Amino acid sequence: MALTLTCPICGERNGYEFRYGGEDKGPRPRAEDPAPGHWCEYVHMSPCVAGIRKEWWYHKDGCGVWFTTERDTTTSLEVKQPEKTR
Amino acid sequence: MNRLDGLPTCRIDSSRKIEFSWQNRRFTGVAGDTVATALYAGGVRIFSRSLKYHRPRGLYSLDGESSNTCVGIDGIPNVSAENTVLKEGMQVRAQNVMGTPRLDLMGFLDKLDWAMPAGFYYRTMHRPAAVWPIALKQVRKMAGLGKISPDFQMPGRFDEIYPTADVCVIGGGPAGLSAALAAAGTGLRVIVMESRPWLGGFFDFRVCEYRPGLPLYERAAELAAQVEKAANIQVFKNTAMVGAYSNNLITAFQKGEADDPFDERYIEVRAKSVVVATGCMERPLLFENNERPGVMQAACAHRLAHTYGLVAGQKAVFSIGHDLGIEAAIDLFDLGLEVSCVADIRKEGQDRELVEKLAERGIDFLPGWTAVDCSGKTVKSARLCNLDTYVQEQFECDLLVASAGMTPVTGPLCLAQAKMAYDAHTGYFLPRQLPARVHACGRLLGLNDAAAIEVSGQVAGYSATLDCGVSVEEGLRQAREKLDSLAGPAKGCDLVMAPVKGRKAFICFDEDTTVKNIKQTLAMGFDATELIKRFSAAGTGPAQGAIPGHNLALFVARYHGRSSAITQPTTVRDPLVPVHIATYAGAYHDMCKRTPMHDAQKTAGGIMQRIGVWKRARYFSSDTACTAEIENVRNNVGMLDATTLGKFRIWGPDAVKALQRVYISDMSKIREGRIKYSAMCNEDGCIIDDGVVVKRGENDYYFTTSTARAGQTVEWFRYHSRYDNWDFNMVNLTDAYGVINLAGPNARKVLEKLTEADITNSAFAYGGFCEFKIKNTIPVRAMRLGFVGELSFELHVPSSYMQSLWAMLEEAGRPFNIQPFGLEAQNVLRMEKGHLIIGSESEQRTTLNDVGLSFLWDRSKSKAGTVGAVALMHTEKQEGRLKLVGFKMDNAQRAPRDGSIVVDQNVCGHVCIARYSTTLKEVIGMALVKDHLAGEGAQLDIYEDECNGQLMHAHVVKMPFYDVKGERLSM
Ligand SMILES: [Zn+2]
Repeated sequence: MALTLTCPICGERNGYEFRYGGEDKGPRPRAEDPAPGHWCEYVHMSPCVAGIRKEWWYHKDGCGVWFTTERDTTTSLEVKQPEKTR
Repeated sequence: MNRLDGLPTCRIDSSRKIEFSWQNRRFTGVAGDTVATALYAGGVRIFSRSLKYHRPRGLYSLDGESSNTCVGIDGIPNVSAENTVLKEGMQVRAQNVMGTPRLDLMGFLDKLDWAMPAGFYYRTMHRPAAVWPIALKQVRKMAGLGKISPDFQMPGRFDEIYPTADVCVIGGGPAGLSAALAAAGTGLRVIVMESRPWLGGFFDFRVCEYRPGLPLYERAAELAAQVEKAANIQVFKNTAMVGAYSNNLITAFQKGEADDPFDERYIEVRAKSVVVATGCMERPLLFENNERPGVMQAACAHRLAHTYGLVAGQKAVFSIGHDLGIEAAIDLFDLGLEVSCVADIRKEGQDRELVEKLAERGIDFLPGWTAVDCSGKTVKSARLCNLDTYVQEQFECDLLVASAGMTPVTGPLCLAQAKMAYDAHTGYFLPRQLPARVHACGRLLGLNDAAAIEVSGQVAGYSATLDCGVSVEEGLRQAREKLDSLAGPAKGCDLVMAPVKGRKAFICFDEDTTVKNIKQTLAMGFDATELIKRFSAAGTGPAQGAIPGHNLALFVARYHGRSSAITQPTTVRDPLVPVHIATYAGAYHDMCKRTPMHDAQKTAGGIMQRIGVWKRARYFSSDTACTAEIENVRNNVGMLDATTLGKFRIWGPDAVKALQRVYISDMSKIREGRIKYSAMCNEDGCIIDDGVVVKRGENDYYFTTSTARAGQTVEWFRYHSRYDNWDFNMVNLTDAYGVINLAGPNARKVLEKLTEADITNSAFAYGGFCEFKIKNTIPVRAMRLGFVGELSFELHVPSSYMQSLWAMLEEAGRPFNIQPFGLEAQNVLRMEKGHLIIGSESEQRTTLNDVGLSFLWDRSKSKAGTVGAVALMHTEKQEGRLKLVGFKMDNAQRAPRDGSIVVDQNVCGHVCIARYSTTLKEVIGMALVKDHLAGEGAQLDIYEDECNGQLMHAHVVKMPFYDVKGERLSM
């Protein structure tokens, strides 16, 4: 896989080792009785804009951390060192 | 054919013979031969017939630049004979041939070319539409490359490797080797890829001097030796680069040599910097019948002699456009080839020394002349023409060496997204803008001078070194200065063509596209090279643009009358060189896990099957209905290896919060010593897992998941708490702990013999959890569960104790005749009890409510804070959902196959599981059906595959089928 990602614990690794966790959409909504549409919006919809997106990735074949990183979806290249999640 | 012996450049060992067959006839080659050179040595001149016109085709190049020499080898079609090293016993066959290559029954098609203009298929075979399927079959029979049997099993050993390097050099010629040495000299790790079986590139076969006393081939050997000696340079020979992707990911494939443990392997290199040094190939000369067997490129004839010891013919005519062609003529003359004349497209500008050498040998030199035509099925004569006066002259010959000029091998650069531009001086497409951390050097840049080629390699090597963060600015500066002082790119040769119609002048050999076809395409209004390629198919063959790429662009520009029309070469795509899909697939690593009781179960007669990542015992006899195994559990005692269950520890101050988030039940109220059964849903409320949770201490829990979810559970917990910064730890104990389920009315009697702990029903009741020791040694976590519907103890112990425990239970159970049971028996047992397996009785869309487990959902919990709860609330009253029901077949004899569909007018669901129940003496099962069929007593009509419309009938009944009151599991 051409993509490489920088795990905050293990460093730069092959994209094969990671699982995509979607765009960063912020924490779960707190409303106890949200309208179905609103809930679906949060769970399933992403802006999917071409360009730099902040995304969640899971280092499944490594240390097992979920972290966010920024990736340019037009080139599928990571754009900067991800921030630490913990 | 006799080999020239004793040439220092030879790569063959003529004392080692290699037997193979061609068209079922025995042939002999020698060690070092390719299939193509061995056939050529054996007198084969016609290797194949062309795609469209069935024209005879022969050896034209030596690096697989066209499909001329594609053959079938050992049942594999479309193998390039030029790129395949000869091996003992190969069975080689001509392809696209009806009859023999020499006498092909479809050869008449060549006379029908007037009926097949450019875009012939596009324009003729689509109306009426019904014609196409019939036409397709006929066309496929006549045209097309190679055949493969539908039953063909790909032989061979395949492998894959994923090396990393600081610098990856593509091309093991003088420039690439110099780049590798420059980079490796600074201590970096370097990979060199070379498609031929040896290093040295275009120095390797040439005898002219690098410097006084040192011929080029010896210089190549020097460089190669230095590279091979360097500990930090890894050399991959027989390796063709096929792809380049972002982040400098280079893919390639390597052909194994005799002692390699693979036949082909896929290589994926990640490099900090890439150097492309792929050099040049030859640009074909365009004239009538320019692809006749007997016409070959200059380097092909030259290398046949110097590398393989084969003089390609008796009497040759050369029609060339560059000094390398003259050099080849001189060399080959010296090796005994009769050379009638050397025609050079160029009127002037040749290397004086070379021209003098021609004169010394009495070879006619004809500057400003070119070939116009040749005749014979294999070349018998060639006609040359003066480009000014159009005077023509005929020469008898059996070899016509034809080459218009050079063309850089830009495929790898193009794949790496380099921007190419036409350069009027060299007549080449040269890189105008290279992507970051990609460098080019050598002949690829138009350089001809041997020293300049090497120094440009050093410049690229140092530039790549800089990319890796090593400071070599001074070395780079010096190398650049030196390069500037050496000869720059030489003037290239324009597209020159003799005045011919081009009806049989082939611009693309693979697709049988002629100059006339291109003219037709242009006349139809296609102006862009890329469109012309599509419509005329030029460059869409196996070798992509190798033969037509450069000429097509030049020809189109000339047609438009302006060189500005030449912008980019036509697109090349990965893989650059045809690669077997089997090579991409690599080695077949069928990796699976075994439980500690694997061998013990096999000894006990277990039939082991691959289920998910595990090998598990499915049956313990040839009776796939498992009657004896089932009866033994119902009436006596059995044991099951349940090690594959997911097992986890979660602990820490926020462990409960995490459990609350992912489990649908209220996990805050788990009592010590009691088991909590619950389920996990996804955000859509669909059930994804079920299992039990026990509390082992303050903020310390142990829980199980289904076998299939074991791998994803930690990820799931962490994902759904990723914004929360909760303080908890998790560890996957699936492989650290083994599980034996001891089940049946006599289970307690067996276990009592092994422990002093109080396991009576009052002390350790159904739903209980306790920890004790077996034989005062083995620590056990025991659970009173009832998945199979009988009294049972689920014993979790460290994996290292599993075999011992299994043996102890066998021993302790002997008086009761304890028997192991397998997965299929468990499947029936749990079905009788109405217990479900996620994934069997549920699918992607099935919610917790749909399978009747809504009682697990604690509605007092925060819905927003519980994964799936909001969706459960929204879907609870939704109509038309598939609901899980139990059913009994009206006919007690036969169970429908799992997955059979339930129908009325439409598909209304499917059977999840159905079995003959030994216990109940009838066929029962579970199905997911539309809600209108989910009521008790509803009739289900079941359509089984191949039932010929004979529906099976069943009625919905309440579950469980067995032990409705649940007395047996709480004994
Ligand atoms: Zn990591």
